[in-house]
Amino acid sequence: MKNVEANMGLELRGLKKILGGRVIIENLDLSMAKGEMISLLGPSGCGKTTTLRMIAGFLIPDAGTVKVAGKDVTNLGPEKRPSAMVFQNYALWPHMTVSRNVAYPLKIKGLGKIETAEKVEAALGLVNLLHHQDSRPGRISGGEQQRVALARALVQEPDVLLLDEPLSNLDAKLREKVREDIRELQRRLGITTVIVTHDQEEALSISDRVAVMNAGKIEQFSNPQDLYRHPATEYVATFIGALNRFEGNLVEGRIVSGSDVIGIRPEDLILSSQQNDDALPGTVELVIPRGHFFEVVIRREDGIFKAFTNEFIPAVGENVFVKIKKSLRYQNGKLVG
Amino acid sequence: MRSLLRRTGKEGSLANNGSGSSLFGFALSLPPLLLVLGFVGIPILIGFTFSLGFTKGPNRVIAIIGQQIHPKTHWWGTFAAYSDVFHDSRFVGDLVLTLAVTAISTVLVIVIALAIALHQRLVGGRTASVLATLSIVPLFVPVVISAWAIHTFYGGDGFMRSFFANIGINFPTLTSTSTAIVIGSVWTSLPFSILMISSGVQAVPDALIESAKDCGASTLKVISTVVVPLAQTPIIIAGSFTAIGIMGSFTIPLFLGPNQPTMLGVEISNFFGSYNRPQQSLVMAFIVFLAASGIAVLYIWSNVKSAKENGRI
Repeated sequence: MKNVEANMGLELRGLKKILGGRVIIENLDLSMAKGEMISLLGPSGCGKTTTLRMIAGFLIPDAGTVKVAGKDVTNLGPEKRPSAMVFQNYALWPHMTVSRNVAYPLKIKGLGKIETAEKVEAALGLVNLLHHQDSRPGRISGGEQQRVALARALVQEPDVLLLDEPLSNLDAKLREKVREDIRELQRRLGITTVIVTHDQEEALSISDRVAVMNAGKIEQFSNPQDLYRHPATEYVATFIGALNRFEGNLVEGRIVSGSDVIGIRPEDLILSSQQNDDALPGTVELVIPRGHFFEVVIRREDGIFKAFTNEFIPAVGENVFVKIKKSLRYQNGKLVG
Repeated sequence: MRSLLRRTGKEGSLANNGSGSSLFGFALSLPPLLLVLGFVGIPILIGFTFSLGFTKGPNRVIAIIGQQIHPKTHWWGTFAAYSDVFHDSRFVGDLVLTLAVTAISTVLVIVIALAIALHQRLVGGRTASVLATLSIVPLFVPVVISAWAIHTFYGGDGFMRSFFANIGINFPTLTSTSTAIVIGSVWTSLPFSILMISSGVQAVPDALIESAKDCGASTLKVISTVVVPLAQTPIIIAGSFTAIGIMGSFTIPLFLGPNQPTMLGVEISNFFGSYNRPQQSLVMAFIVFLAASGIAVLYIWSNVKSAKENGRI
């Protein structure tokens, strides 16, 4: 039992939170292993930030428990929890220098000057910001501020690192770089990490597992590949990646009327200029270059399909044959085949 | 935009436009500047020269009417009126009282205003809202009414003495004491300071407070290391305005203060009107002005510091 608890990074059991008379989180369960990195992914208002704030201690759940490294911290305030948070807008104190920002939690803990200085230097070295230690946060770039916030969290050596939409204020290029930096640091330090994001690309590329949230509940908690290839619910299928969605049944490669919902990933459509098994004819309506692949919109007699291809690139107006390689079938929103 | 213009070779015309618009902006601000110069700057200059013994020109009439006038003995004037004032034990007592009342009242105002603002910010709720609303009521009560209300409350035949007399306690008469001036000054200065400090404290983002808590800071630590330093500029502004206002106050010390020593605002009026010693009165006014300037320097320093921290300069 002790071994299990020692290996436990974070455990949420039956979490519930009501805010302003509205149920925000309903009976939420989640557990993650020590050293794992997970994402809470969902649209605005799905309850992911509320969940993170309950883990951090800024909100006390109305029901349920929060355990960090096997220890129940449900009723502890944020100052007493073994977690550290990186805020969406970094929350660096503008009246303190970078090194004072990072040293703050150590001073609060009462560490000596020499030890504090050593740890601050190590943390700033970790995020490659030693040259900015005497700068004010207002004088450094957004990406650098983000790294200072990360250093301030890491210097606390928390059991759980919490990241609240840490990349949302960065431009696309910087976001990718910082994302890789965070992942690399997390792997190197083996720190249990929860990241909140509404950006599916960010969640899928950075996490060991992703919890897709909807209306205060976790729809599916799985690894990125599984989420994409085997979305357990129709919501997850439409939320993660692109999807051709049809109401009806799939019979011999054709959508016919029926009670199911059929989902087809655009890359699961095979285009060709020649007729082959189960391929049905269609006319190309749109061809959009998407960098390393093309998005092709084809009208078939049973519907309009969006396909991703980088092999056969037809022209607009061209007649092509479309074959459905793989599909997902949902009944009442649940995956049945 | 500027770089775009530079690339298209229109930088020169932009610079000309910039200089033209800055001249236009200066012209727009000229009327109020001239007004301040005419109605404040010139009277200050004339008053200052009179305090140095320049008794001709615009000072001729008052020099004839006033008593104990010291005409200038050097080309730059004379310090005889200043010497008069500093050798007058009444003035020294008044100065000490003025500085003490100003310091004590300002500290009390800031402490109370900060406590209310912090309660409102960190605790919130109905009590905080009611308290914050009630605390700005004095802003709508004229000072003379407030002074009279305090007089009837703390006076020899006031409410407090009558109330305590009924239960056998001899409550002290606070009117005509420096304590009454402090009470009056706090009453009249508190609303503005609360508005100023509350807005400063409210402006501290939640995330900055939460991040301190997340780092393990207690509420007291959050206040002392994050909230107060971040609201430092409005606190200093409120403190400066409060101190300058109290230092030059007249109504409250006149109604509630002792006859001797009294606040310099009242004494300046006495010297000017009752004693007919306008030159000494002006000297006192300049001393108050110098002290207020010292406070103004603190205000400017705070603004510059804040601008530097925010990267504006």
